[in-house]
Amino acid sequence: MSAVLQVEGLQTYYGKSHILNGVSLVVGAGELVALLGRNGAGKTTTMRSIMGLTPPREGSVRLFGNDATGKPPYRIAGMGVGYVPEGRKIFGHLTVHENLLVPPQTKGPWTIEAVYQLFPRLAERRASKGGRLSGGEQEMLAIARALLLNPKLLILDEPSQGLAPVIVQEVMRTVGRMKGEGMSILLVEQNAVLALQLADRAYVLSEGEVVYDGNAAALASDTARMESLAGVTQV
Amino acid sequence: MGLVLLFNAFNGLIQGAFYALMALGLALILGLNNTINFAQGAFMALAAYFAFTIVPYVGFWGALIIAPLLAGAIGLVVEVALVRRLYSRKDPIYSLLLTFGLAFIIQDLIRTIWGAQGVPLAIPGFLDHPLSNTYFFLTGYRLFVVAVALIGTAALFAVLRFTRIGIRIRAGNSDLETISALGVNIYLLRSANFVIGIIFAGVAGILAAGQLGLNPNMGDTLIMPAFVAIVVGGVGSLVGSLLGGLIIGLASGITTAFFPAASEVVIYVIMGIMLVVRPRGLMGQEGLFE
Repeated sequence: MSAVLQVEGLQTYYGKSHILNGVSLVVGAGELVALLGRNGAGKTTTMRSIMGLTPPREGSVRLFGNDATGKPPYRIAGMGVGYVPEGRKIFGHLTVHENLLVPPQTKGPWTIEAVYQLFPRLAERRASKGGRLSGGEQEMLAIARALLLNPKLLILDEPSQGLAPVIVQEVMRTVGRMKGEGMSILLVEQNAVLALQLADRAYVLSEGEVVYDGNAAALASDTARMESLAGVTQV
Repeated sequence: MGLVLLFNAFNGLIQGAFYALMALGLALILGLNNTINFAQGAFMALAAYFAFTIVPYVGFWGALIIAPLLAGAIGLVVEVALVRRLYSRKDPIYSLLLTFGLAFIIQDLIRTIWGAQGVPLAIPGFLDHPLSNTYFFLTGYRLFVVAVALIGTAALFAVLRFTRIGIRIRAGNSDLETISALGVNIYLLRSANFVIGIIFAGVAGILAAGQLGLNPNMGDTLIMPAFVAIVVGGVGSLVGSLLGGLIIGLASGITTAFFPAASEVVIYVIMGIMLVVRPRGLMGQEGLFE
């Protein structure tokens, strides 16, 4: 299986604080990989390092076989990576439709009309300001925005954060559908139970290091490990 | 008295139109380029001198379009070669010092090339006449200044509202990182935005030169009021900058009718009152100065 994303030995700092200490991970073509861990384990920093938002001091990021280390975020996005950031980062003073006009138009099935069909709710609210949307609608908008790049790899950072369970189910169904369409996906979640239902493989981060790397189903069924590694009790 | 008041109010409105054009350019550059562009006044003068030089070849109308673009081209070089290098510095003092120095350099270049003496800019004859004998101050040119300021402002808002580049500028003002992660080349976007800001200064420069003539320091009298307009209107709001410019221009004009000596200080008084009563300005974001 050829690697869509290959991350090796990331060392990332915020100023003087050392956040990632040698993180390595791989996402294969068509795979859905979950990245789990407690708050502050370095999940978001890993995403930001991959996207070039917080470039690593050491280590490498390879995308679709090409070196992407230290490239600016727009180049990495342009290589075919859709990024759904933590906290959604909707442009609150822009309308839904304007939010969708921010990413460049790319060739592929995902046009503005297509994402409106995927999320009819967004079509209904196309003239509303992004800041007026509910959390669930904002999440849909963030996913729609990323899809417009027609990405080969979709990176989602905590899509379930702060959402009602019904909405979370809907978001996860969408993620599952993208996987079904052959997209490779890297999914960061606090909610490990949820993420492992969809994932093929999983990594667990703790204090900036990978402490588990393996089959998602095996991790999900290992209650003791789930509790100690991911900090998950019952959901 | 009524006529005198009207005369001064109209003068103030014209002045306000210049402030507003300058403030819009400054506010654009402040927003996306995160740069307090002290060289805005120097770019304004530069465009006016470009116009002065090319009017014999392309006429006033040609110069009104070409000269701001030439100044914009210089602005592009400056942004790519200098301003861009300071984007990674969080403290705005670096870019402020850079543009402050640039202002002196550009002004001295103007002095070297065109001389320190003021020169007039020829305007089309038909704009030069008063439109009525009673309202002697209503010259065609002054109405023209107001019209160009209105058209320029409307064009800017249309671009920001309806074009992808404009939508990205607005998105980038609030979250540059995210538009970059969505595939927008922020270097290109910031260059384009800087150039648009300079073009606005350029148009203001040519309009001002048509009324008051040219001199190397012509930008100096406009740059501070333009900053005041931004503060009064609210940092981060282009509509606010526009209103701020018109308000302080009008206030300055009306003050001239009653107490000429205070016509300049009144805009700073307005700014002072605004900062005390409503620090975010007329339309600025909540919490910026509070």
